[in-house]
Amino acid sequence: MSATAWFELLASGLITGGVYALVALGLNLQYGLMRILNIAHGEFLMLGAFVTWLAHTRYGISPLAMAPLAFVVMMLVGFAVHRLCFARLARISPNVDVFEARGLMVAFGLMFLVQNFASLVWGGDLRGYDYLTEPVRMGGAQFAANKLVLLAVALAASIALIVLLRRTLLGKGVRALMQSPVGALLVGIDTARLHPLMFGIGLGLSGLAGSLLSMTYAISPSIGEPYTVTALIVITLGGFGSMTGSLLAGLALGVVEALGMHFGSPSIKPLLSYGIFIAVLLWKPHGLFRS
Amino acid sequence: MSARARKGLRIDALVLVVLVALAAALPLGASGFTQSMALTCLMYVALATSWSLFCGSTRYLSLATSAFFGVGAYTSAFVLGSLPWAAAVGLGALLAVVLAVVMGSAVLHLRGTYFAVLTFGMTELIRHSITLAEKSLAGTVGRVLVVVPEPLTVYYTVLAIAAAAVLVSLLVRRSRLGLAMAGIGGDEQRAQTLGVDTRRVKVIGFALTAAFAGAAGAAMSVRWTYIDPTTVFNPFIGFQTVLIALVGGAATLWGPVAAAVVFSVLAETLRLQLPQVYMMALGVLLILSVLYLPNGLASLGDALRGRRRGDAPATVGAASAVAPVAPSSSSAPAAPAAGGAASSREALDG
Repeated sequence: MSATAWFELLASGLITGGVYALVALGLNLQYGLMRILNIAHGEFLMLGAFVTWLAHTRYGISPLAMAPLAFVVMMLVGFAVHRLCFARLARISPNVDVFEARGLMVAFGLMFLVQNFASLVWGGDLRGYDYLTEPVRMGGAQFAANKLVLLAVALAASIALIVLLRRTLLGKGVRALMQSPVGALLVGIDTARLHPLMFGIGLGLSGLAGSLLSMTYAISPSIGEPYTVTALIVITLGGFGSMTGSLLAGLALGVVEALGMHFGSPSIKPLLSYGIFIAVLLWKPHGLFRS
Repeated sequence: MSARARKGLRIDALVLVVLVALAAALPLGASGFTQSMALTCLMYVALATSWSLFCGSTRYLSLATSAFFGVGAYTSAFVLGSLPWAAAVGLGALLAVVLAVVMGSAVLHLRGTYFAVLTFGMTELIRHSITLAEKSLAGTVGRVLVVVPEPLTVYYTVLAIAAAAVLVSLLVRRSRLGLAMAGIGGDEQRAQTLGVDTRRVKVIGFALTAAFAGAAGAAMSVRWTYIDPTTVFNPFIGFQTVLIALVGGAATLWGPVAAAVVFSVLAETLRLQLPQVYMMALGVLLILSVLYLPNGLASLGDALRGRRRGDAPATVGAASAVAPVAPSSSSAPAAPAAGGAASSREALDG
């Protein structure tokens, strides 16, 4: 293989990996902070994609302008979901293990609800639109412009989140909550405000990822589920609660999948991801990047 | 066994006999549609009851039901041409048990979400592996079942499996094994300290669940005449089982049975006309039942009875499900109210 082909292969892996990282960061925020394993996470990616598609094809709004809007819309949805489901669940559950198990079931319910809502409203067909499809030359390789936009925005949003958590007082509060919920309460960190906010940001990131995806791939109501599974794999690889871990693991998984599909066959992809997932959970349940 | 426990056992056994008799008489006067609906009911009775037997008492949330079901279905698809019907069903159950023992040995030391997610992941891995194997070795996607027994034979087989599942659940609940599983659900470490071989108990319980799911899969596979991994390893079979058990009350014997009947009737009537609405309703029901009836429909009666007698409302939470072993929270003598509230708060925010 020539150097250009390698470059193209790795770059396409990174592009997919960027989306993985974005989705995984949102899920990690929910699980790492609140122990909500939101199995419906990918469904909100699908909603974000449909909102963008609808706005672009029906009202001619630029998908790039829709990306931040999809983030905001999904964040508001997140506030509502948290308020209606998880806030009450946290109140009635006797301990965190029970909360986690019940939260998982609620999330399954959300998954059924959202996925079938979409399929009822928009039908099961594949949908898409053309946006920024002209190729861009980079170092001898060619990429569709929309894929580069996708990678750039995904990376920017991921890094922005990490910086937010590292550098601001808000982020300090969130990290404190992850380390010790009791300690955080004792020093006056307001859980009742931070939890819905972080849940909302998590869903917002998923919606943003969906919005970006709709520029490059055809969408259907069932696209969300594989991304949920991938996000689960990524946060397991990167470690629950570790944002940098999620970013790195997302990019790495994208590259590994690209290599596996290139040298193996496309049907090997699910085997590969589930295999990695199970192996990591069994051997290093706290993530690859933690000692 | 106390006189009261013996009376409970007699009543449960009597109810089971009456239900089996009713189900056995059903094909005599029913249309094909009703019979097929009853078959679905019985399948979910078997799946949900056997799931609750292990997962309800130990509180290990297994999503591997579809793996066992699928393995059973594939086994009978492979051997039905050369083996008699009963042997095919038995072999399906046996292979599911083998899978459960292997899977259980690997993952049963992990609790909670880890366990749930791993069982789900393994089920998907098995599904994709079989798809890949079929594609590359056999060159097909699915299998056509040529030798198929009479519909009535299938019906009575599934009835027998469902009845056996309820009977085993009824007996195990009152046995050492059942108490040990309930103890694990209450506080695993304490159970271990008190001398329960938790590892063995968990693997046995998991295998027991798998046996019924595998047998049900083997018996139901002939209903489709054409099977592929997407149909028989459908994660939805697992989800619906969990849903039925939770809505019915996974810690009770009759809750899952009642919920299985309600859901199957709903599924068969709504699913054909309004599949999406059915699934959405399922989602809403799941959310509502977890939020407002965390111990299932079966706890509704207890809650009402308790309130009428003027007792304190039943404790919300699975802790009340493990009566045989006193849960640590309620056995602590008169913990100060404020301390109790604070500790539950901190546990929640973890």
